[in-house]
Amino acid sequence: MVSVTIDGHEVQVPEGTNVLEAAKKAGITIPHYCYHPGLRVVGQCRVCLVEIEGMPKLATACSTQVRDGMNILTHSERVDEARGAVLEFLLANHPLDCPVCDQAGECYLQDYAFDFGLDTTHMVDEKRRYPERERRMLGPHIVQNQNRCIHCTRCIRFTQEISETHDLTMKARGNHQYIDTFNGEPYENPWSACAADVCPVGALTVKEFRFRARVWRLDDTPSVCPGCSIGCNITIGHRNGIVYRFVPRENAEINGWWMCDYGRFLSEQLNGREIEKPLIRSGDRLAAAPWPDALNELAKIIGDGNGVRVIASANLSNEALYLAKKLFVEKLGAEVLVPSETGPERAIKNGHRDWIRSRDPHPNTDGARLLGLNTGDTSALQDFLITSAGPVVILDATAHPLLASEEIVQAIKNQPVIAIAGKHTPVTRAARIVLPAASWLETEGTYTSSTGRVQRAERGAHPKDEAKPSWEILALMARLFGMEGGPFTRPQQIFEELAAEVPAFAGITYRRLANEPGVPVLEEVAHVG
Amino acid sequence: MSVAHTQPLTMAPPELLREVHFDDEMETKISELLKRYPTKQAALLPVLWLCQEKWGWLSSGVLKAIADRLDLSPAFVEGVTTFYTMYHTEPTGKYLVQVCTTLSCQLCGASGLVEHLKERFGIDFGETTPDGRFTLLGVQCLGACGEGPVVQINNDYYTRLTVETLDQILDELPE
Amino acid sequence: MEPILLKAEHEKNSRALTTYLNRGGYSALKKALIMNPEDIREEVKKSGLRGRGGAGFPTGVKWGFVPQDSPKPKYLICNADESEPGTFKDRKLIHTDPHMLIEGIIISSYAINAYTAYIYIRGEFYEEAQILEKAIAEAYKKHYLGKNILKTGYDLDVYVHRGAGAYICGEETALMESIEGKRGQPRVKPPFPAVVGLFGCPTVINNVETLACVPHIIERGADWFASIGRPRNTGPKLFCVSGHVNRPGVYELPLGVTYREIIEEHCGGVRDGKKLKGFIPGGSSAPVLPASAIDIKADFDSVAEAGSMFGSGALIVLDETTDMVWLLENLLTFYTHESCGQCTPCREGGHWALEIVRRIRRGYGRPEDLETLERISRFASQGMTLCPLGDAFCGPITGVLKHFRGEFEAAIAKAKPLPKKKLPVLPVRSGRGTFGM
Repeated sequence: MVSVTIDGHEVQVPEGTNVLEAAKKAGITIPHYCYHPGLRVVGQCRVCLVEIEGMPKLATACSTQVRDGMNILTHSERVDEARGAVLEFLLANHPLDCPVCDQAGECYLQDYAFDFGLDTTHMVDEKRRYPERERRMLGPHIVQNQNRCIHCTRCIRFTQEISETHDLTMKARGNHQYIDTFNGEPYENPWSACAADVCPVGALTVKEFRFRARVWRLDDTPSVCPGCSIGCNITIGHRNGIVYRFVPRENAEINGWWMCDYGRFLSEQLNGREIEKPLIRSGDRLAAAPWPDALNELAKIIGDGNGVRVIASANLSNEALYLAKKLFVEKLGAEVLVPSETGPERAIKNGHRDWIRSRDPHPNTDGARLLGLNTGDTSALQDFLITSAGPVVILDATAHPLLASEEIVQAIKNQPVIAIAGKHTPVTRAARIVLPAASWLETEGTYTSSTGRVQRAERGAHPKDEAKPSWEILALMARLFGMEGGPFTRPQQIFEELAAEVPAFAGITYRRLANEPGVPVLEEVAHVG
Repeated sequence: MSVAHTQPLTMAPPELLREVHFDDEMETKISELLKRYPTKQAALLPVLWLCQEKWGWLSSGVLKAIADRLDLSPAFVEGVTTFYTMYHTEPTGKYLVQVCTTLSCQLCGASGLVEHLKERFGIDFGETTPDGRFTLLGVQCLGACGEGPVVQINNDYYTRLTVETLDQILDELPE
Repeated sequence: MEPILLKAEHEKNSRALTTYLNRGGYSALKKALIMNPEDIREEVKKSGLRGRGGAGFPTGVKWGFVPQDSPKPKYLICNADESEPGTFKDRKLIHTDPHMLIEGIIISSYAINAYTAYIYIRGEFYEEAQILEKAIAEAYKKHYLGKNILKTGYDLDVYVHRGAGAYICGEETALMESIEGKRGQPRVKPPFPAVVGLFGCPTVINNVETLACVPHIIERGADWFASIGRPRNTGPKLFCVSGHVNRPGVYELPLGVTYREIIEEHCGGVRDGKKLKGFIPGGSSAPVLPASAIDIKADFDSVAEAGSMFGSGALIVLDETTDMVWLLENLLTFYTHESCGQCTPCREGGHWALEIVRRIRRGYGRPEDLETLERISRFASQGMTLCPLGDAFCGPITGVLKHFRGEFEAAIAKAKPLPKKKLPVLPVRSGRGTFGM
């Protein structure tokens, strides 16, 4: 560790830390564009200049490593003047189209110009323009406006160092250089939208999100990607219960600063719930019913649990699965299966630049396993259903694609089926009772990643209708069947019990979940790569 | 010097360069170049030169073939190619007439040459005559300031030029 | 002074190995290869030789930065990118005496324990690259290069690497990027090339003229070399003179000669009997000096004292007819065209400055423009940029505004107000290999 003084504050940082990160530790933000903690240092935007005692020239905070006893000023007459000048240079050719720019609200040029810039410009000449690249689809998800580009090359470095697809490059040189792909071909890779995440200005924006919402009107909820077992940390941007986007949230151990396009664009699926109230079959149709009626009907069907088969889901949180196990396995003695499957490979690079790969499309298969639930692949699920004779309880209609097949629905059509779902699928249409499930945004829970880390997804909104998160539906059922413990009114309460009961989760607390980049479960060795 | 000693360039037609494979002769040359450097990437500039000498210009098909051969991404290769002004990603005329427009040559009358050439060819900088014979380029300092004004035609320098000597050279250039 | 570097200037067939050997060529190499590399480094340090590429850094000191205990291979690069406007001495040296350069490269490589050397030559120098290739082939044949050189057990390979049109590749880190097959963009320093250079290995980069001095230092001793010129500014120097003089060309003179001697005695005075208006003493990035500075000494320290830069020793002479607004536009056009584009002050500031000067020349100057130009030159130099190209385009601005401000003020005084209609947009470089100005 070395000790440095930044603006009079002394901080201890590991040797090799750059001035910019050291300042961060002291709570001081040094403005920067080209620097990104996940990318190679290039020192080219020149906005992070600081004054270091004993150095005749200003130094870039990103490319200067701390030395013991260094005395750094991030604000001084020289620094402020120079920074103002660099911002003026950057704004000289930047179109001031902020009102119609989709980056507004999260634009570092705007923010730093406000914080550190001049209140006027000396520029009266024509600004640089790239007429062919002012509003151009760079790829299926990315819109390019080269006029706004500040040439920080973060997007290029992302494709070189993180995605390793090497598909973006700077062409030409000097004042007229621009970002492009080989021969202008579409910019397309499994992580393509991260290029827009790293873009500090509105030069690259995500097509799916453009002009759908002003970011300062969005609520941000920290969550975990539901798209696969890797468990990338995300922030859900939403407003009035409507989800507008997923963006990656930093977690060095799992996803670094990145997420894949597949996961990112699942955001839309969180909207548009079709099942807003409990439904009970009456003849050919499903009719809305109050929750108590639906639960009474459910109690009648399940009876003492004899012959009941329960299909749980690796999409459910540890808490929901814990209650499912306690109720169905331990209390009622029913058979429970968590379907598993092999999907397309997803991959992400963590903050240490190691790849994490997964072909498990569910976020909590490991959680289910560690809780002691049986998992089974497609054929096991098929057998489980076909050989069933009694009631079938489906805790999540999206637990496995097989549940959407008409064939399976035919096989169990004469048995009473209870399904929890947000949207209709063949199995809900054939069910005796359908209970409305809250969306991922509306559900708080913890999930165990493929690398054995327990992570918490927060709830961002309450359902506006009668839908409930699965843990809550299971808690209601638990009370219905007189299960010991509870009543469970909060996921935290369930998690605390779970952590006390299940060895793998021993010692994990909500506080740790809030402060650590996912808490590793015991007995589990993280299998990175 | 007033004797034209420059040979014309030949430009491979675009349809020939859509997809490119290196023949044995090119392969041998590339292998020789690779021996000079500890990394394959380092051979990029020499290989670009080699290809431009062979085909006259560097189509995207050529860049793709180079990228494949040197284990680089095509985007990277194109980024490098367009950084340097002497690589041509479009066909040029048979003669690249490159007039130095920087200070010392200008002090010695290069602007007169520029005007004359634009008039003689009927084209502006960056353009090619309709017959495909000449491409006129304004270039920056050629590093022969003591012998200005300087015009580089293809690879050859012609120095201490006047309108008359330049005309004579252009007239003498072979078909 | 007896000619040293240009000894063969008027000799017939001077480039051939046989004539070089007749002049005593490669005898310094024989002497060097039985010396201890450390002693060669010490001798060069003692000679006071300063880099001839422009920065004037002591060569022996530079060599001393190479960590000799590093297990990595070491590289020597000969910088033959010669692209600073006004400079053409390296081309002359290559044309005249390529073997002298190669001998210098071999001795220098041996001195830093390098087994591979590259000559990075600008792409436009096609003929010169061929001259070097030919000379290298001759040297291999006679075992001055290759394995077991002159049976001393020392191995060295020398390769010519051609650039392809980029001034910035004369900057040593951009040059290394270019050899590595990348866009020629300067690297962040530190680390310095002597420690982490080409392919991540310790690397020394020396200019052609610097390396050409080395055989003479070995042959005739450091004391002899140091006796030429002035203290701290030792040795012969190739002066490139261009512009408005009667006899432009390359002149070999001792450091410390005055500009008056160069212009009036060696170059036959200002062309057409005109009066001298000013001169640029060290390549076009050096601030212009007025005619009144003609008696200062041409060496690193004296020119710096006069507020300019000795640089590569390239003298551009300007007569009384020279329009300084035009001159600044011309130079800014060059530096803007050659900016690699990666760092903000150079990319944006250079182009902005050019736009302002163009506007002034078109008759639309504004009184506040000069202040803006000064502001740009202040904040695009002195460490604000990643590499010295920022300083390179700011030098001309500060020079003309210091000594010829009146011409700008006069142009602005006569200027029309900015037209309501926008000025036409200047053409954007297409990204293709060609450039329309």
